This record gives sequence, structure tokens and C-alpha cells, in this order.
Amino acid sequence: MNKILRTLIPFDIAKGLSITGKHFAKVFFTANRRKVPFHITSEYPEVPAKVQPRYRGRLTLLKDEQGEIKCVCCLACEKICPTQVITIEKGKKEGRKMPFPVRYDFEMERCIFCEFCVESCGFDSIILNHQFELAAYNREDFSIGMEGLGQNMYEPTPVGKFSVADD
Amino acid sequence: MFKNEEMEINLGPQHPSTHGVLRVKLRLDGETITHCRPMIGYLHRGVEKICENQTFFQGQVWTDRMDYCSAVANNLGWAEANEKLFGITVPRRAQYIRTMLNEFNRLASHLIWLATHALDIGAMTVFLYAFREREDILDMNEAFCGSRLTTTAFRIGGLREDLPPGFEKLVKKFLAKFPSCLEEYENLLNENRIWKKRTIGVAKLSAEDAIALGITGPVLRAAGVPYDIRKAFPYAAYAEMNFDVPTRTEADTYARYLVRMDEMRQSARIIQQCMDGMPEGPVMAKLPKILKAEVNEVYHATEAPKGEIGYYLVGEKGSGNPYRFHVRAPGFINLQALPKMAEGGLIADIVAAIGTLDIVLGEIDR
Ligand code: SF4
Ligand code: SF4
Repeated sequence: MNKILRTLIPFDIAKGLSITGKHFAKVFFTANRRKVPFHITSEYPEVPAKVQPRYRGRLTLLKDEQGEIKCVCCLACEKICPTQVITIEKGKKEGRKMPFPVRYDFEMERCIFCEFCVESCGFDSIILNHQFELAAYNREDFSIGMEGLGQNMYEPTPVGKFSVADD
Repeated sequence: MFKNEEMEINLGPQHPSTHGVLRVKLRLDGETITHCRPMIGYLHRGVEKICENQTFFQGQVWTDRMDYCSAVANNLGWAEANEKLFGITVPRRAQYIRTMLNEFNRLASHLIWLATHALDIGAMTVFLYAFREREDILDMNEAFCGSRLTTTAFRIGGLREDLPPGFEKLVKKFLAKFPSCLEEYENLLNENRIWKKRTIGVAKLSAEDAIALGITGPVLRAAGVPYDIRKAFPYAAYAEMNFDVPTRTEADTYARYLVRMDEMRQSARIIQQCMDGMPEGPVMAKLPKILKAEVNEVYHATEAPKGEIGYYLVGEKGSGNPYRFHVRAPGFINLQALPKMAEGGLIADIVAAIGTLDIVLGEIDR
């Protein structure tokens, strides 16, 4: 008898529908208001994505205050990279005691964004920046170096200001 | 007039319910499966061999890419296997943070399992809700180590960095709302008649068969065997944690669902304990500059969300690379139960059988 009743009266369906209904109402009545707490999706291309301070983006060479490249060609990053995407050519520059990288090639299509290179660098001369959009149309666009067409390794890139503390 | 013939068909490798590139060769008699063989290897990248050609330090990035739904658990096993090999003691604070992140990862993995499993069987709503909570966990991954999926979270000897400022707030917020979310999923599924019809008594695997096949994880526990490496051979900070190992005896798809739901509750409990008892101190042990192993072999097993993940490492004297590296992947071994579960059942139920095993093909093929 109990079983027949349970089959006839769809309690389970009502239970499920009440949950979806609750969520629908929550979102429906708070839509188009500012600071909507129930929205979980973001309108990505219109609203830029937020990244955390430790986000691992594209590899970038840093310069010091005088505009000099900080890298001193110790080749630690080249050695530790698990996918071997960094190629450095050592050279000299006039008026500089430390070795200077003549070439610093970085093939982004094979980089796995592990941050081992940054960790291994004892001179703080590279970082992974906060660039969120890394896609490109051509394979050539992924070969990044110190000079050449649109291949600037130290072009200023957006830095995420968002932090977990102020969420 | 009617020929009584068996038909052979392929399920996959490009089938949405096979969770990747799994091909299952089926022989059917009407709608009954008489023969079932999983064919694997479509995603083989040679992770073990790559690791043998790289240093111990570099090897971790490949473990992320095996089971990409539970990268942190893989990282933990790799780091601990190496620490065993080199005899490194990890600071207590690092142990606690590792335990906490590992449990978060278990939640993320179980949520993605719940979402896809329910979607396969036909419950679409749970998918959206489960991914909502998983998103919070991935955000925490990003806050801690900078990446959402392929985390590379730990280092041999500890952690790279301490928890970011404000992390406790995120954890508190998550723990406050998670129990009600779990209730939501259960309200949607537990009494749902379609869900019950499609899972109760489907894809049974008895405890004897499970042990004989070497099955671990929730699939084994749903058959009534309370084997959990976190309890049996405690690692990280699990010895100091207070938690239960949920088991069931029905050994069907519904029991596995209930076991995993209970496991999520226990995970939340462990995270709470980690937060409460978090010790102060350094997060990285003192290490030699270059790790060199004496001839030495270790096998270290940890409880990944999918079962026992074991790393077997052989060091070589004077070399910075492992001489031999082998992974005991839980998905690979759990998949061997598929013929036992599916043969004699209906073809519609094989989707439930694949889903309930919670396989990730990246790990099976390595
Ligand atoms: S580790 Fe740093 S200093 Fe050394 S080569 Fe790389 S970027 Fe230059
Ligand atoms: S992030 Fe990793 S893969 Fe990319 S360049 Fe650095 S070390 Fe190599």
C-alpha cells in the first residue's frame, strides 16, 4: 500500500523541483541588481577575468631600475625546465661586467607553466606574469624572444590586482 | 527465419560517456552483454619513461598530467615517495597544509565524478550544482599555487610557499556552505526514482572479486571492505586526524554513490580539523642542492580519490634521475573490473558501470 502511494504521489520529483525552483527564484529576483551574490557565472569577454596574485601566466624577462636586463646567463632556468623550452645564448655587452643574454628564446606552445624556471632563478630576473589570454592564431606567435616581430619578452603586461584578502 | 546471432559493437573511443578515449568492445545477444573488453592506450604519453629521463625535481609536473582531476593527490604521492627515498622529514605545518589540500582535491574529484556520473545516467541538474562547488575549490588551488588544474602544488621536502593571506577566509566560507550543498545533491538524487532504478543492483562487484582484482578506493569500500590507506598506513598528517571510513555492503552502483557522498562529508571534517590545528613553523625542510639517491628503492602508496595510487621509484647511485619509475594507477586497475560488472547486464547499464568506476583515461594510459 505504502509503495503504491509512493509511486502515485511523486514526492521525489517535487523535492527535486523545489530545489531548482529555489535557485531559479534566487537568481531571478536578484538579477539586474548590482552586487548580485547568487550569480556564479561571469560574463567573461566583457568583464575581464580576475586572476589570483600567484597566477602563472607567460614567462617575462625583467629589467632593473637602469633598464638593464637582470638575467646574468647562469642557465639555471634552461636546465630545470621540464619541457626544455628556454634557449639562452651567452654574450657580452659593453660596460657590463656580468654576462649578458644575446638570445633568450622561449617557445610558449610547449611551456607547461610550472614556474620551475622562476623558482630556480637566483637573481629574480624572470617572472610568470598575469596574462590571462595566451591564445594566438599562428604557431610563430608562440616563439617569443628578445627581439623580432612582436616578440618582446619584456613588454609590459597586465598585473592582476585581485587578491583573496579583498574578495 | 530469425537468426540467433551475436553482434559485436564498439563503444567509444569518441563516446561522451566513456570519460575520455576509452574503447569498449562489446558482444551483444539482443540487449544483453555477453562479452566486454576495454581497449586502452589511446592517451599513452610515456609518463614513466619521461620521468626516468628527468631529475627527481622535474618529475612532479608529469604526475599532474596523469589524473588531471586529482592532480594534488598525485603530487602528494610523488613528493612523499621522493622524501622516503632521500630520507627527508617534512615540517609539520607543511604536512597539515598538504593534508588539507589533498582533501580539497578529493572533494573536487568526487564532485566531478558525481556531476558526470549523474549526467551519464540522465540527471542533468546535479551536474551544474556540483561544478559550482568545484569552481570554488579550483579558485583555492589558484590562490595557493597559481594554477587551477595542473597544480604542481608541492615540492620535495615541503611546499614552495606558505598559504596566501586570506586563504583561511576562503576555506571558512567554503566549509560553511558545503554541507548544505551536499544535502542539495542528495535531495536531488537519493529518492529520485529514475536514479534508483538505474543504479540499485546495477554493476555489482562482490568483495571477493574486488579483492582478487586488486580494486581499491570507494569501489572496494562499497563492497564492505573498510580498507583506506589513510587509516591503514597513515601518511602526511592523517595519523592525527579523526575521521571514519564509510562502507556499504550492497556493492552496487547506488552503494558506491552513497560511499562517495559520505566520503565527502569526512573530507570536510578533515579540512576543518586541519584548519583548527594548523601549527606554525616553516614549510620547507633543509635540502641538499642536488638530490642524489643511493641505490635504493621505495614504494609509496597514498589514497587518491580513485583508490590506491602507488609510486615505485628506484634510485641510481650518483645519478639525479630515477633508474626506474612506475605508477600503480588506481584507474588502470579498477578498470579491470568492467567485464565482471558489465557481462550479463544490459547494454544501457554499461554507461553506469563506467561512470561508477570513476576512471580518468589520462591516468590509465599514462
Ligand atoms: S636562471 Fe635567471 S639569471 Fe639564470 S639564465 Fe635564467 S633568467 Fe638568467
Ligand atoms: S614555466 Fe616551466 S615549462 Fe615554462 S619555461 Fe618555466 S620551467 Fe619551462
